[in-house]
Amino acid sequence: MLAELPLLNRPDLLLIPNRMPAPGEQFRFHFDMSKCIGCKCCVVACNEQNGNPAELNWRRVGELEGGVFPAVQRLHLSMGCNHCVEPSCMSGCPVEAYSKDALTGIVSHNADTCIGCQYCTLNCSYGVPQYNEARGVVGKCDMCQNRLSQGSSPACVNACPEGAISIEIVNVEEWKSGLMAAGNAPGMPSALDSISTTRITLPDNVLPDLDRVDRERVVPQHPHLSLVLVLVFTQLSVGSITAIWASHLAGAVLPVWAAIAAFAVGALALAGAPAHLGRPIHAVRAWRNWRSSWISREVITLGAFAGLAQAYAAALWFQVPQADMVGAAAVVAGFVGVYSSSRIYLLKARPAWNTGFTIADFFLTALSLGFLAVAPAWGAAMMVAQLALQIARFDAMRTAEEFERNATASLLTGVLRGPFVARFVLGAASVGLAFLSPMAAFALAVAGEIASRWLFFASVVPKSMASTFLKPGGAR
Amino acid sequence: MKPLNWKRLIGIDNLRNEYAYADDAVLGYTSARRSADRWVKTTCGYCSVGCGMEIGTRDGKAVAVRGWEGHPVNLGKLCPKGLAEHHMLTAPDRAVHPLLHGKRVAWNLALEALVSRFRNIQKQHGADAIGVVSTGQLLTEEFYTLGKLIRLGFGTSSFCGNTTLCMASAAYGYKRSFGSDGPPGAYEDLREADFIMLVGANIADNHPILCQHVEANRDKFLVVVDPRVTKTAMLANLHLPVKPRSDIALLNGMAHVILREGLANREYVARHTSGFESLQSFLSAYTPQLVSELTGIAPETIVDVARRYAGARAGFIGWTMGVNHSTQGAETVNVINNLALLTGHIGRKGASPFSITGQCNAMGTRETGFTSSMPGYRKFESVQDREDLAALWNLDVNRIPARRGLAYPDIIDAAAEGKVKGLWIIGTNPAVSYPNQGQLRKAFANLEFLVVQDAFQPTPTSEFAHLCLPAAVWGEKEGTYTNSERRVGKANVAVQPPGEALPDFDIFLRVARVLGCKDEIFPNWTQPEDAFNEWRRVSEGRLCDYSGITYELLEKVGGVQWPYTGEGDPAGVSRLYADGRFQTEDGRAQLYCVPCEPYPDQPDEEFPFVLNTGRTVEHWHTRTKTRNVGVLEHMAPNAWLEMNPADGKRLGLRSHDFVTLVSRRGAVNRLELRLTEITAPGQVFAPFHFFESNVNEVTQDACDPISREPNFKQCAVRVERSLTHRS
Repeated sequence: MLAELPLLNRPDLLLIPNRMPAPGEQFRFHFDMSKCIGCKCCVVACNEQNGNPAELNWRRVGELEGGVFPAVQRLHLSMGCNHCVEPSCMSGCPVEAYSKDALTGIVSHNADTCIGCQYCTLNCSYGVPQYNEARGVVGKCDMCQNRLSQGSSPACVNACPEGAISIEIVNVEEWKSGLMAAGNAPGMPSALDSISTTRITLPDNVLPDLDRVDRERVVPQHPHLSLVLVLVFTQLSVGSITAIWASHLAGAVLPVWAAIAAFAVGALALAGAPAHLGRPIHAVRAWRNWRSSWISREVITLGAFAGLAQAYAAALWFQVPQADMVGAAAVVAGFVGVYSSSRIYLLKARPAWNTGFTIADFFLTALSLGFLAVAPAWGAAMMVAQLALQIARFDAMRTAEEFERNATASLLTGVLRGPFVARFVLGAASVGLAFLSPMAAFALAVAGEIASRWLFFASVVPKSMASTFLKPGGAR
Repeated sequence: MKPLNWKRLIGIDNLRNEYAYADDAVLGYTSARRSADRWVKTTCGYCSVGCGMEIGTRDGKAVAVRGWEGHPVNLGKLCPKGLAEHHMLTAPDRAVHPLLHGKRVAWNLALEALVSRFRNIQKQHGADAIGVVSTGQLLTEEFYTLGKLIRLGFGTSSFCGNTTLCMASAAYGYKRSFGSDGPPGAYEDLREADFIMLVGANIADNHPILCQHVEANRDKFLVVVDPRVTKTAMLANLHLPVKPRSDIALLNGMAHVILREGLANREYVARHTSGFESLQSFLSAYTPQLVSELTGIAPETIVDVARRYAGARAGFIGWTMGVNHSTQGAETVNVINNLALLTGHIGRKGASPFSITGQCNAMGTRETGFTSSMPGYRKFESVQDREDLAALWNLDVNRIPARRGLAYPDIIDAAAEGKVKGLWIIGTNPAVSYPNQGQLRKAFANLEFLVVQDAFQPTPTSEFAHLCLPAAVWGEKEGTYTNSERRVGKANVAVQPPGEALPDFDIFLRVARVLGCKDEIFPNWTQPEDAFNEWRRVSEGRLCDYSGITYELLEKVGGVQWPYTGEGDPAGVSRLYADGRFQTEDGRAQLYCVPCEPYPDQPDEEFPFVLNTGRTVEHWHTRTKTRNVGVLEHMAPNAWLEMNPADGKRLGLRSHDFVTLVSRRGAVNRLELRLTEITAPGQVFAPFHFFESNVNEVTQDACDPISREPNFKQCAVRVERSLTHRS
């Protein structure tokens, strides 16, 4: 794309490289925090350049403060995309909407390919990809690569009155082997998360307590209700097929409709899954990136589970002798599916999710609900394990040193306290009722797991670059 | 409820075209929505920096703006407001029809109502019973026309502008020290000075484009005097966090050190100033020790700053509202001027006492105005000046007013007392910007007829209006703005005003026609250039000489500094008083003895905090414009209150709590609390942009006896938790 960059006699063009990257190199942003005055011209220029609505800012400016009056430091962090060496947006994207240019290293996103699953918005530690609700697709900074290819500077570089933003060439190996410290700054999640390439120049004598000013503005995240239902009901389906299969192996005789119902719940949940996409019509593409995306793997394995569960139900119906074999295959596919589902959420960008608790949580949802429907004693035991796990998870958050995990705990005991308590009351009640009224116990348990998964999404505190003190868009 | 969009629901990308890109011939690769078929050069309509810019239009609509490459003021850059200025033109609340008592009327009926109601009031209650308050947002041509219309046509002296809430103290300070208004320096001085002191001026938030001049200056020592750790303080080599309103003490203390250590420019003082002896004895009391007690700044720091300023090759002192918004505002300007005169830091490259103005045309209104002085900085009290104007205008000299009328706050007070019965508010929004809103509401309640002429409708002020007149705004009208450094810039028409809105110039001429004075005071005028050409003649030979400035020249060089008579390089940089000759009778500048007095609204047990108000970079004044620009409103969506964490802890308040400010005059609700070390213990800060949480409910309308500028700063308040709780 970029042939030879014409260097005109314009000062802003001194802020972009006058050659293309050589092999082993790529373009990157340099942000000079010591020059930035916090005017936010870059944000406005970026929105104008890309025709974005007010609430989408592909470049953002965060505020940092440290010190004690009057020896105070106020600094600003301006950031677009970090055009990472190992972009997590790209590896997680199920439809290969992202690409990293082989020559320039620019990570760009193709809106035509995007199905609006928003996984990339969860996956980036810097909060770069943003979902355009009106359009149903994600968008992000592409370093104005088409401007660069014309030899003109990106909109943010061009707009900055202080010349604080520039484009430069980085040697990727040198960067990875030690120089990456210059990619870190207060208010910026670790450059290691996905090998961010942005270089940040800090002023001299940065105060040790310099920190982002939005720390106390922790608010619940979007609960993604359709995802909550898809997860709980696919897990319920996997769990109940497992329970039915195990019961059969143990010699119990269960009505065939149980297997049909178990299959149907999972199939319905999977059929409903595209509802959470911005572009459901293109949901079929979601298997495409099976090499690196856990979403693609989830789609494939849960799809296989649905097929095998259906075959299992049919085998039971027709009393096929090999039914147990088919059931075993369905259980294996289901377990791989639940595992894939859980791995989707093991993200550096979401510390409260990024633990083994998430995997255990998803499996215990599957097994507790599945067995409560079929073998209440086993189900109650699984539910006790699930509640114990939730307590252990909360305690791990509460005592964690990491800000985001800690903040998750404070959300759970703060604004989310109601649903958090309800989750335990429902779970405990289901255990208590398991022998008196298995149907009621099952219903309460499903409600409890839905509340739990809702809290899973609502209480996660994402890593992101520093924001402003005021919540963009308003306090209400 | 939005209608169901089935295409969006199933995921067809029906906004693909809206997010398409184009390779624009001027802008390069950019959003296709910004592709313009015509570019119009103009000057920004927000602040007084006066940035050159271009508006791109397509099919008669403004679709993009960009900085004017190589423009001497902004070097092609714009601030965030300027970068999105065109979005304000299509705001949903643009005023489009005249409204009389809330009902749409034709222009002729609207203007007949205005004239007949005002004339009736004048017949019954005297000529001065109608008041007019306009704005530094008007173009010079418009303001010049309005001045003649009001003082010669309507004949009322109750005429003022919102510049009195802003720059009056600077204007009066200059007049008292130098014999005339007019900032002596230029922006180039910010690049050339080796010592810069900014007093009560947060340019990083309010004049961000000036920062590039400051930052381009690598040899400077920058001192920022501000009680709060502003963004500007962060640029400084030395920040002096003075106690509120102790700037006079600091400046007097510097002068004391300069005299004590023999650092004054004795030759300059002897040749070009009056009042040195009395100043010298007056200043003897302002020892660093005393000044340290008053300001909270260490004595050795005061000595150091004084030595640095006096020893500088070129010393620059700039200021804005921290100085002006004070009952001693004009006098504070005099103390700044004292320093410049004692050291000779004036009239040279880099050396100036420099008032950084507020609105885009505050300067033009000061020069052409008929408010605090007559056009061309002429004095009401000067017989010669009145005769000059009578001759220029072919009028009997008795028609020329011999006194200044009421200033803005006095017009409001007179209305509250029932003396002013009719009021015409043009392009300003006192229901947000005026101090002590209770008093303003009292004034509005007493009015028989309130006319509000504005580009937006409704505004908080137009809610009180009997008659609303829809006006064109920046981008829709032609004329000139004069910026802080006396540079005249051209503003041009890019698009037509919406609906029936008219340029203010046209409205004024139409009123004159209904009033019957059009042919007499605006003979053969049809367009703004007619006013400009008359103004050029009227200003000829004055300090603010525009005689050599033409529209063609402005288009060509992108702004010309006055005085310009047509000789020399129009693009060159000019400074006033290079020869040390001032505009006083004897040509000498006057030194003033100014005591540092306590501010009027002192904190006590009931109101323990000192409130300071100000701005943020995203918004312009009362937000009639910027709240309509989505990206700006998104970044600064609501009002807040800054408080030191130690005070917050004591009061049991946390960041993001909603708090209420209460003063002796009123209360303001739902400010989002920000506990921060950028504000000193015992002080709080709030922006004044937000009508939803209007901090001017609590501010005071005590005014400077000289400039009549209100003391917006230093107001005693207490802070309570709002009844509506956390966010």
